[in-house]
Amino acid sequence: MNDETPIPHWRILAGVNRTQSWRRLKSAVAHSRLHAFLMGLFVLGYALLAYALFHKALQFTSSFPGLGPVLIERMIFLLFAFLFLLLLLSNVIINFTNLFRNRETHFLLSLPVPHQVVYRWKIFESGILASWAFLFLIAPFVAAYGTTYNASWHFYIVTPIFVALFVVLPAILGSWAAIGLARCLNRLAFQVAAVLVVIVMIVFVSSWLQPETVTDEMLETRVLDVVDRLLSRTRFSLFPFLPSYWVSSGITQWVEGALMGTFFFGLVLLSHTLFFGYLASTRSGVFFYGALSAVNSRGGGGTARWKFWRRKRPLGQTAFTSKPLDRWAKLLWWGSADTRALIVKDIRTFLRDATQWGQSLILLGLLIAYIVNLRHFSHRLTSDFWIDLTSYLNLGACALNLATLTTRFVFPQISLEGKRIWIIGMAPLGMRRTLMAKFLFSTAVSMIVTMALVGASCAMLSIPLERILYFTLTVGVMAFTLNALAVGLGAVYPNFREDNPSKIVSGFGGTLCLVLSFLYIIGMLSLMAATSRWAFGGSSPVVFGLGWVLFLGGSFLLGWLPLRTGIRKMASVEI
Amino acid sequence: MIEIEQLTKQFGDLRAVDDLSLAVPGGEFFVILGPNAAGKTTTIKVMAGLMKPTTGSVRICGFDIGTSPIEARRRMAYVPDFPFLYDKLTPTEFFRFTGKLFGMKDPAMEAEAEHLANRFNLGDFLAKPIESLSHGTKQRVAIVSALMHSPEVVVFDEPMVGLDPHHSRVLKDILREQAEAGVTVFVSTHQLSVAEEMADRIGIMHQGRLVAVGSHEELQSANRDRTLESIFLSLTDNDA
Repeated sequence: MNDETPIPHWRILAGVNRTQSWRRLKSAVAHSRLHAFLMGLFVLGYALLAYALFHKALQFTSSFPGLGPVLIERMIFLLFAFLFLLLLLSNVIINFTNLFRNRETHFLLSLPVPHQVVYRWKIFESGILASWAFLFLIAPFVAAYGTTYNASWHFYIVTPIFVALFVVLPAILGSWAAIGLARCLNRLAFQVAAVLVVIVMIVFVSSWLQPETVTDEMLETRVLDVVDRLLSRTRFSLFPFLPSYWVSSGITQWVEGALMGTFFFGLVLLSHTLFFGYLASTRSGVFFYGALSAVNSRGGGGTARWKFWRRKRPLGQTAFTSKPLDRWAKLLWWGSADTRALIVKDIRTFLRDATQWGQSLILLGLLIAYIVNLRHFSHRLTSDFWIDLTSYLNLGACALNLATLTTRFVFPQISLEGKRIWIIGMAPLGMRRTLMAKFLFSTAVSMIVTMALVGASCAMLSIPLERILYFTLTVGVMAFTLNALAVGLGAVYPNFREDNPSKIVSGFGGTLCLVLSFLYIIGMLSLMAATSRWAFGGSSPVVFGLGWVLFLGGSFLLGWLPLRTGIRKMASVEI
Repeated sequence: MIEIEQLTKQFGDLRAVDDLSLAVPGGEFFVILGPNAAGKTTTIKVMAGLMKPTTGSVRICGFDIGTSPIEARRRMAYVPDFPFLYDKLTPTEFFRFTGKLFGMKDPAMEAEAEHLANRFNLGDFLAKPIESLSHGTKQRVAIVSALMHSPEVVVFDEPMVGLDPHHSRVLKDILREQAEAGVTVFVSTHQLSVAEEMADRIGIMHQGRLVAVGSHEELQSANRDRTLESIFLSLTDNDA
């Protein structure tokens, strides 16, 4: 490098962040080879398994003459349309955090680095963070699409280029949306408009998703009509001004050998990427700086104007008055005052962390949407085999969701005490009771939620009452085990240096917790199905009883052992 | 030099800085004192360009931080109360990084970094990852990286936090030398002894306003020869 030529800031930032990332990866591998091996195995396993499944599914679909190619093409258009939407949302969230809540951004802005350069660097970083996981998830599908149609080798070169151009657009649009959000978030008019838009969208989507009645007679005689009606709901993905339309058209036309069509859509995509890229990299920095200053200058209580019913009182009168949560805790909780204080603190911390409750709401929303849709599904189940299979798969889906919740929210509980662990460690409460309180509380909440969900989903499937009780009880036991496993392993593998729960979960302990939870669910689900009294041919009462003994014993052991180890570890933890 | 004119900074209903005007010429060691939430850090953040003033302006060496931020920052060294460092880099790599962002040539950067690192006894830590360093050592790394490019204005927010007495002394000496060499030094601290010992002028902020400003002697004579502590407490007594 010639010392006389100043190095562009962009290259300096890229260099330092590349070094940081590479060392982080090396230290993660060196820290736990088992964790790295498991992660590598999962990545490879997912890629191969997903490719095999997608390939089989696409081959099956393409075997329908006339209909197959139409369905597959629509799937490609839908895939990229939803990918665009998800990337947009993901980019808005990540850009907001990265542009306005990131310490590196503030550090760089205190140096002689132009706002434009910082903004450009941050949207590049956010774009990668927001996109890589989605691209990893869809890659097997696109590869399977190529092999299903025997695409030539250059398909696998052209497609990544199309996708790379495509992901730039949601990254830029997401960053602009994040800037707009940062500027307007605390304005009452914006908040009212946002609430109205969400309500309108919910109404629109729920009316749009209404199921259509398809009779057996229609399926027998008017298949094309039924398919046409089905596809009409997905026509939005063919809107020609959507970037997903350009990438889908380019890819599908390349497979069909219509190279000129691909070339055309490639140029459309390239021109838009260059145009928006130019605007973002040369003109948006000043808006970013204004928005950053607005965020930094914001007083607390952006939603204060919504709390119009609250009477303003002098600080002395309000500071120590009991809040509703304290009063409810006194009524509901049977533990001692210190345990109650711990639980109330955990609930408050959870409710005041938008990331935590936001993710819980998304998971819960998905589950509720799934359960509501089950009632449409159950009408089609006529054979006992399918009813049995669906009911056990339903149990599995709810249990896997529970395992995701316990790993994501319960496992990091001890670590989240972080540098504040001395407060609990020095208090008469003690670590053992702390652990038990966290375990009992999370188990109680999980049991209430999952038992209700499983009960509701079984009712939607029109399963007899005795089986509803069976499944509800089963998931109740699983809630005990999964919570004990999460609390126990969270105490065995704490990470007191990290404040971000997502990062705590992504460590070795979190991965182990998720893997063990999934293995436990798959194992116990297979055991329960194999020893069921009525499902899949039915078994004798002795086998049924034995199945329950094994299930209860296994569940108890898998929960109790890590919990006991965790308690012992916490008793000797050096704060 | 630093020129602050009628600076006001509003956070929602809270006026954190209220009509603050102050000029700190080159070669002056200025210490700003004030109770918690007096508006010191907000003032410093506006000076560093991390937020725009609600009204008023800040000029660093004649460059308005709002309209010519790059020129202003190029002449400034800023260390916040909790400095950001890249935890996987070594101090040497971090110095090289910040040096390049300031457009320093390698030989000048290396010479300056080595000189300052030696004064702060960082020799044994230069090749270790920053994440493995203690809080005080990280603070020393941040200070070296900020001073490397020979700034004309130094703005430090609570720089003594985390430093042991030996390195506090080193920092005080370096800042004194900088001031004597014509650099404007602006330091926020809660340690009244630092103000008494080091400052050419002392400013006391309270509820966003600059309630007193002058040399130690001027403050004493204007307040019946009392100690700086009693002057400070009397001017900010509703927080005591």
